[in-house]
Amino acid sequence: MRDIPSICEASAAIAAGRLSPIALTEACLARIDRHEKQVHSFIRLERDRALGAARTAEAEIKAGRRRGDLHGIPFAYKDIYETAGIPTTAHSKLLIEHVPTRDATTVTKLADAGIISFGKLATHEFAIGGPSFDLPFPPPCNPWSIEHFTGGSSSGTGAAVAAGFVLGGTGSDTGGSIRTPSAFCGLAGIKPTYGLVSRAGILPLSFTLDHAGPMAWTVEDCAILLQAMAGHDRADPASANPLIPDYRAELVGGIKNVSIGVIRHFYERDTTVTSEVGAAMEASISVLSRLGASVRDVTLPPLQDWQACCMIIMLAEAYAVHEPWLRTRFNDYGKCFRDRVAPGAFISSADYMAATRHRRELQEKLARVMTDVDLLILPSTPGPAPLTKDVGSYGVFEIPNFTMPFNVAGTPALSLCNGYGASGLPLSLQIVGRPFEDAAVLRAGHAHEKATPWKERRPQL
Amino acid sequence: MPAPKPRINREDFDALVRASGLTLNEEQKSELHAAYGYIEAMSARVRSSGERPRSAEPAIIFNPRVT
Repeated sequence: MRDIPSICEASAAIAAGRLSPIALTEACLARIDRHEKQVHSFIRLERDRALGAARTAEAEIKAGRRRGDLHGIPFAYKDIYETAGIPTTAHSKLLIEHVPTRDATTVTKLADAGIISFGKLATHEFAIGGPSFDLPFPPPCNPWSIEHFTGGSSSGTGAAVAAGFVLGGTGSDTGGSIRTPSAFCGLAGIKPTYGLVSRAGILPLSFTLDHAGPMAWTVEDCAILLQAMAGHDRADPASANPLIPDYRAELVGGIKNVSIGVIRHFYERDTTVTSEVGAAMEASISVLSRLGASVRDVTLPPLQDWQACCMIIMLAEAYAVHEPWLRTRFNDYGKCFRDRVAPGAFISSADYMAATRHRRELQEKLARVMTDVDLLILPSTPGPAPLTKDVGSYGVFEIPNFTMPFNVAGTPALSLCNGYGASGLPLSLQIVGRPFEDAAVLRAGHAHEKATPWKERRPQL
Repeated sequence: MPAPKPRINREDFDALVRASGLTLNEEQKSELHAAYGYIEAMSARVRSSGERPRSAEPAIIFNPRVT
């Protein structure tokens, strides 16, 4: 087994008795001891708790009570997922002493599946303000290149999984916050269909745009994690109640005769991408064609329409969440958070309603396009990770991104590695499906991953 | 890329700030006023498809059943 296994590899080895959960946890902790001081992925490392949980998992497995694929797997939570008895800070001074009394629903589900929690991971402040250097904890660094941005807001999860500190983690995605760090850190990450994974117990940013989901080394790992996380939850008013398939079992079967639409105008007309991203997209199109899919270009409303809709809704809802504190403790937030969220104070109700009506129009146009194709593809990001020092507060206002359309529409969207640039930094592909066809998205991503060599490379810390 | 120049003047923007209840210093108000150009541009964009039918529904659903 390789030095840093995927969840699938570790799980098979644990099931076969070839790998001890205690040894796996100790190996991950040793990697953390060697490299975390460069990476800064954790807000709170729960070393003793992790070792105790690993000992319990090992005893249960040896006694014939193995719970499933995630039993004994090192894992950690973005620090907006509430964890009972363990501080949940949102990477903010405002919640530095906040200790929840209840776990988020997804935390409970993952614990029941037997994961070994290593603790809480760095995030942009309240899932939007970052990278910020004026917060109680530093922003994480990209394990592929320490000076480069991890992406956010699930920045700590991106860094910790890429570095092999844990084998999987949770993210949240309101405008790209699972997919962008997955892209910049060379991971697989899925923003599931809105309502598939409970938001209960996850500190909100924007109620109608927030999605919870997994990040891991491979698409198959994401399928295993999504299986544990998905499902109806009465505690989440937006929770859907679809039939949940076996995501891992549905990975097989390939993509022969699947029809795929390329949203080429998003990245060739509406905004620009680097030549490496363009070349990686063409290579991915060739791979998917070779695997038997039929691929053609499709047209959606311009990227700028999706960005405007997403941002108006996001900022209005985020401001509503934070209004009491912004009025009384404005300067206790980091500057990046203030820059991005304070403008929400000046969005009128008419603006918000116009955006939500625009949202339905955009959603319907996407649905019409997807009556003719099964999946959509485009890049996840316009280039590899930038330097952290070059990331300003207003990038999301200035340049439309490729991830927001699928928060607006609530459709499942997966980011996976599709190559490396000349700098050695990862490049990424995004695959989008129809609502609640998350399994089809994962199947296509898995097929692409198995047909390409990109998962053989790990960052060298 | 700088923010689009806001159409609202500084005096009127300061009135919005006062109405919001936010307590900002002069530098913060200047920065937010400059950033407000983005909000104006995006607000215009979500109305740019022309006059909507009065019956055009928002993407908001209210479920009267409390779970």
